[in-house]
Amino acid sequence: MPVLDSGAISGDDWRMDEGYEPLNPEDALLLAADAARVMLESGGETYRAEEVAVAVATAFGGAEAECYATPTGVTISFAGIDGRIHSIVRRIKRRSMHLERVALVDALAREVVAGDKGFDAAEAELGRVEGLRGRGILASSAAAAIGAGSFTLLFGGAWNDALAAAAVGAIVSRFPPLMAGRQLPDFFSNLVAGAAATFLCLAAGGVGMVSKVDAAIIGVLMLLVPGIAVTNAIRDTIAGDLVAGVARGADALMAAAAISIGAGGAYQLWRLVSGWALA
Amino acid sequence: MMGPLEPLWAGIATGGFAALFNLRGRDLPLVAAGGALGWAIAAPLQDAGASQASAYLVASIAIGIWAELVAAVRRRPASVYIACGIIPLVPGGGMYYTMLEYVRGNNWNGLATGSGTLLAAGAIAVGLAISSAVSRLLSLRAVARRLSSPRRVTSPGRRPRSPRPGRR
Repeated sequence: MPVLDSGAISGDDWRMDEGYEPLNPEDALLLAADAARVMLESGGETYRAEEVAVAVATAFGGAEAECYATPTGVTISFAGIDGRIHSIVRRIKRRSMHLERVALVDALAREVVAGDKGFDAAEAELGRVEGLRGRGILASSAAAAIGAGSFTLLFGGAWNDALAAAAVGAIVSRFPPLMAGRQLPDFFSNLVAGAAATFLCLAAGGVGMVSKVDAAIIGVLMLLVPGIAVTNAIRDTIAGDLVAGVARGADALMAAAAISIGAGGAYQLWRLVSGWALA
Repeated sequence: MMGPLEPLWAGIATGGFAALFNLRGRDLPLVAAGGALGWAIAAPLQDAGASQASAYLVASIAIGIWAELVAAVRRRPASVYIACGIIPLVPGGGMYYTMLEYVRGNNWNGLATGSGTLLAAGAIAVGLAISSAVSRLLSLRAVARRLSSPRRVTSPGRRPRSPRPGRR
């Protein structure tokens, strides 16, 4: 966790000599902003990120703390015990679903508010939470396979359809992390993943492995489609976070468009390929 | 008609997604149960002739209340359980068919399917808003905590604050 050198800011004027060293407002500010940032990067709701930031800032001596969060950035400001206004902007570049982190940051904020955790302990805990790795390649591929396979069964597919969807789902679930590692925007990873999912399922249907191609394709595409993003966009809007709601809606729309373009292209490609095969 | 195993598949699918979202341990079966519950309510309602949106509304109210109860017992934010529980209902199929209609050049069908999809997503969001309002009004969290740990009189986490929160 990046922590500014606290020696850089103002002199001793804010120190109240009462036998303890008061917390540096800049430190509280950074901790609050990072807590909100981790929350947003891990898929937490907008209002929850704001609440966490305000709670942490207030618990560590900030007065009139306010936080404005959107899915792409956090701004937080408060009046420190030195009587000055402190504020910081944190940009959110990557968003993924890591619900364990959401739960842990929320718990951390509660402990801080209850006075159970001091500043150093809270800072260390936040660093630990942010360092939590996602599941490994094998485990997340298996989870994607289980998800895609059981959705295919749910949408009326048979066992062979589910098995094919599980295999394709395991492959396709590797695309977004791979492309994120290459600094490509989500749009392209959705495009390629949508195309690969559709083409592989159509091909499996073409060689007779899959009987209900639609069920298999939907099962795999459930891994990609921004259904949760759309729902969260509407939930944010209902909760009054209008800007966040619109931003999430735009995000979901672009993801859906990318998947559609990819899947549509794969359809056309499959028609060409199967046309040649028949000729 | 809803097949007898459908809630099971919905539950397993939910568990798979929850694992993909990095939930662990005891949370996985709990969210899977929420997903199965939602499907077990939405599918029969649709079989009985309810519209998709109204069936999803009722189901997502149930999922939301389930999530609030689990969240109270597990002391974690309800949204963790909500995000997973609604996955079987989330209109991925609708989005796919919308896309398919556009690809086939049936723009009007695409528009109709698309607005139905958006309506379903809206119904889920409204259902969740209702369930969170209801559980706040009935203070479900406190009730669930009392039921889960009956001997505890006062809730913990209400220890007296340290006199100087700003202490380093």
